[in-house]
Amino acid sequence: MSSAASAQMKFFTIQKDSIPLFRGFAVSFDLVGAGMLALSDYGQYEAALRVNLHDEWFPIVEAGVGKATHDDEVTQLYYSTSAPYFKVGIDKNMLKDKHGPNRLYVGLRYGFTSYKIDLSRPDFPDPVWLWNTGFGVKDASCKYHWAEVVVGVDAKIFGPLHLGWSVRYKQRLAHSEEGEFGNPWYVPGFGTYNTNLGATFNVIIDI
Amino acid sequence: MSWKGKGLLGLAAIGVLLSCSTIDCPVNSLVETKYEFYSSTGETLTLLDTLTVVTSRQDGIDTVFNKGSNISSFSLPISYSHPEDVFVFRFKGDGWQTADTVWIKKEDYPHFESVDCNPLFYHDLTAVKCTHNLLDSIVIKNPSVTNDNKVVHLYIYPKTGD
Repeated sequence: MSSAASAQMKFFTIQKDSIPLFRGFAVSFDLVGAGMLALSDYGQYEAALRVNLHDEWFPIVEAGVGKATHDDEVTQLYYSTSAPYFKVGIDKNMLKDKHGPNRLYVGLRYGFTSYKIDLSRPDFPDPVWLWNTGFGVKDASCKYHWAEVVVGVDAKIFGPLHLGWSVRYKQRLAHSEEGEFGNPWYVPGFGTYNTNLGATFNVIIDI
Repeated sequence: MSWKGKGLLGLAAIGVLLSCSTIDCPVNSLVETKYEFYSSTGETLTLLDTLTVVTSRQDGIDTVFNKGSNISSFSLPISYSHPEDVFVFRFKGDGWQTADTVWIKKEDYPHFESVDCNPLFYHDLTAVKCTHNLLDSIVIKNPSVTNDNKVVHLYIYPKTGD
């Protein structure tokens, strides 16, 4: 076997020791998304359930509700959406000391949301013909699929409580918009349309 | 650095990350229809006469294209939300003038880029007809009208010999 294939096998193999495979569950809540929702026009409430396999592999389900309500003073455009979203994936603990109190993760996610957009603007005159014109879409159905590459840390504070943060690179995989009105501005769970970076700060409790 | 220190550093990095945002509005926000003159044999024509295009708007007649000469193509505005635009093409040569009326039917739909960008309307041209004083016909080449100003939407065929 080549050295590359050997390294690949080592990455995917669970270390052999006396620690059992199943080590429990953890739930977590993201404070960054909630803070953004409280302080800005968009954000999300997000929670996750993670399975601990041998302190090394962590299959994870993340779910939340993303919301945006923006009334732009300059363009006078109003944008509103609110919808649940779901992500599934897996993290790997990259530290040598797998069973220590702290972890360094890399992971992948697949995300999906189905949401509706309200978009409107007060009537404004056509610049040539001068007739007043309305602009907007109501309850336009959209779907969005994306992938995330995650890098994060997790530090034990005391007892079952951990704190951790993650940085995520997000990439759209597929999307559809009813009526082809253009680009969604905010996608629940993904964030703003033209941003590929995201981050979380998590409160994690082992259960 | 302790893990708690690294955690705080990470939180600060997240704050910096989230404070960055960009506005990506299209460079060209003008949505127009582009016309090109063609001969009956399919070759591009240059109009040696003078062309002025007018339309009727809410406060009266307005010129939307003024005294173009030696042109093979030109662009006209397209209304945001009227089902049909009507233009009068006024041709003026050496000692003569004539006019043709052009009716363009279309479907309009809003186009949204971002809350930071002014709204646009895109259009699908569905039908075109004209009178035949100087014009033989006008045909739709590309029905989709967006902010891509390189696309020619309509071919104009003047009468043979004009």
